[in-house]
Amino acid sequence: MSSHPSSPDSSLASLQRWMQAVIMHPDGVVAGAKSDDARQHLEAGPESCETVVSRSRNLTGVERLTIYHQAYFARLLECLRNIFPIVAKTVGDEAFDALAMGYLQAHPSQSYTLDRLGDAFVRFLDETRPDRDETGQPTETWPDFLMELAKLEWTIGEVFDGPGSEGRPTLSAEQLAAIGPEHWPEVRLVPAPCLRIMSFGFPVNDYFTELRQRAADAVPPPFPAAETTWLALFRRDYVVRRQALDREQYDLLTALAAGQTVGAAIKHLLDTTGIDVDRLAASLQEWFRTWTAAGFFAAVDS
Amino acid sequence: MPSVFATGASAGRGVVHCFGAGPASAPAAAYFTPRIYTATMTPARLGYPQLGLGVGLRTAHFPYLLEHWPAVDWFEIISENFIDSRGRPRYVLDKLAERYPIVMHGVSLSIGSTDSLSFDYLARLKRLADAIKPKWISDHLCWTGVLGLNAHDLLPLPLNEETLCHVVERIRVVQDFLERPLVLENPSSYVTFASSTMSEWEFLSRMADEADCGLLLDVNNVYVSSVNHDFDPLEYIDHVPHGRVVQCHLAGHTNCVTHLIDTHDNHVIDPVWELYRRAHRLTGGMSTLLEWDASIPPFPVVHAEVLKAREYMVAGEASGVRRQASGKPDLPPTAAKAGLPAREPSVPHPLHLVGREVQ
Repeated sequence: MSSHPSSPDSSLASLQRWMQAVIMHPDGVVAGAKSDDARQHLEAGPESCETVVSRSRNLTGVERLTIYHQAYFARLLECLRNIFPIVAKTVGDEAFDALAMGYLQAHPSQSYTLDRLGDAFVRFLDETRPDRDETGQPTETWPDFLMELAKLEWTIGEVFDGPGSEGRPTLSAEQLAAIGPEHWPEVRLVPAPCLRIMSFGFPVNDYFTELRQRAADAVPPPFPAAETTWLALFRRDYVVRRQALDREQYDLLTALAAGQTVGAAIKHLLDTTGIDVDRLAASLQEWFRTWTAAGFFAAVDS
Repeated sequence: MPSVFATGASAGRGVVHCFGAGPASAPAAAYFTPRIYTATMTPARLGYPQLGLGVGLRTAHFPYLLEHWPAVDWFEIISENFIDSRGRPRYVLDKLAERYPIVMHGVSLSIGSTDSLSFDYLARLKRLADAIKPKWISDHLCWTGVLGLNAHDLLPLPLNEETLCHVVERIRVVQDFLERPLVLENPSSYVTFASSTMSEWEFLSRMADEADCGLLLDVNNVYVSSVNHDFDPLEYIDHVPHGRVVQCHLAGHTNCVTHLIDTHDNHVIDPVWELYRRAHRLTGGMSTLLEWDASIPPFPVVHAEVLKAREYMVAGEASGVRRQASGKPDLPPTAAKAGLPAREPSVPHPLHLVGREVQ
């Protein structure tokens, strides 16, 4: 023993750093043991790794280390497939596993929980999109679709286990109706903590629904054409719900969620969308009835 | 230079001096001070209760449990699936904790890592413990990663004096932080190290005595490791410090012919039950828990599996373990697991991700 175990040059620290570099190498244990990353900690190549890891009656040191290598990737690929099931179905298992392998190299887990394993996946898809030209500009749209799909699945996960409104009162239609018309324009609404208002450049919500309804082994539908769509994600009774929005609903909810007063949000909507005032007036009551029933708002901001 | 030496271990608790000169973090520094334990008898199971026959809580069983409230003695949770949850997992846990004893079992403590302990993780663990009042908190004798990474695996340690000193020192820090004795499990492992100088049961014995912690004896892991590392599982069961065994784990595994993988995806095999029978007799009874983590059957099947333990609690010598002329146990190979879909390979334990519910 040359130093305290927490010191980088202790034998335990060297062994752990070596083993981690060996088993996490994407090309396997032999490549891992040959890598500079491993050899900087212990000089034990594939031929001499049994000076570190003993052989058993049945398996060599390399074969035994390979169990950990395979387990590492199998476990985390399985986990990523569970976090992004629709992306995986869309690109197919082989392509998804290749993507996931690359992702794990670029963004190995640094968290105590597997729940955060995918937190840089959308960014990784963007950073590694294969369609950039010499100037770095994207030339295709399908990577954007995949990123949006991955963003939807990641956000579903956040909403599923994040804060919600279960067990707490949410703003009811009756409470809204009780607000006098003269106060209405100045009212601010507190969004429920599980509410996410999203916009997409593709019909990802419809695609998500369609793919979920298909048999597990069915061929996925073709990538949809670009089309701006809007979606509210929220949670009720601990289940994530999706509700398609139209442009006006999206704009209004975004403004309200950002803390604008109802009056300012509606004015903003009239100014930017050109929606007919009478049509909007007729719609608002129905919209708020739907949104309060779904628990979009926690309370009136007092 | 760290050094560790034990004296006066005859009465069940040793005296250990751990001197650390490394770059310890401030909270850890206080624990480098040598401690002297008095030579007192350790109460059975460290004084923790005998909870009976429990089942590992899995999200697939949530609807069944909330509908039927089955007569299960206790549940063990995977701590990491709940410490940050503000959705269904935590809601269900709170409901169950009102009616059943709960034990918190973690996979990310990384007690053997040479990275610093994460006090952020420990604080989250403690916060959950303060809320749900578990009977105890357990994790594994392992490391999960270094250099800030988490392999999400229970990686084995070289079993020698350096590791022992390191682990004992960190257990004390964790126990002081959590304000309760920690319970550590023997993991299944697939490699052994040339630098190991002692058996796993010897390491566990000294570790438990010197750190004054409890043990979670996973008899399936003993069996898996015994096949993988060519040791005698009966000797292991006979020599772990029985008074410190707070809890036992049972699970199924996968036979890969040249080695076994701890997959938690099947029934407990007979040789493991026989190890359980022996451990139960030697410990005088321990809280027993079945883990089933992949290809999870309906709850009644899982519950029925752990209830089989009653058959092995009767006094008597292990009947099913034959011995070869050499005296080594003649443990039959388990049937290779068949019928797994190609896209669902048996991923070695642990894999704990809570599935998202979305409509």
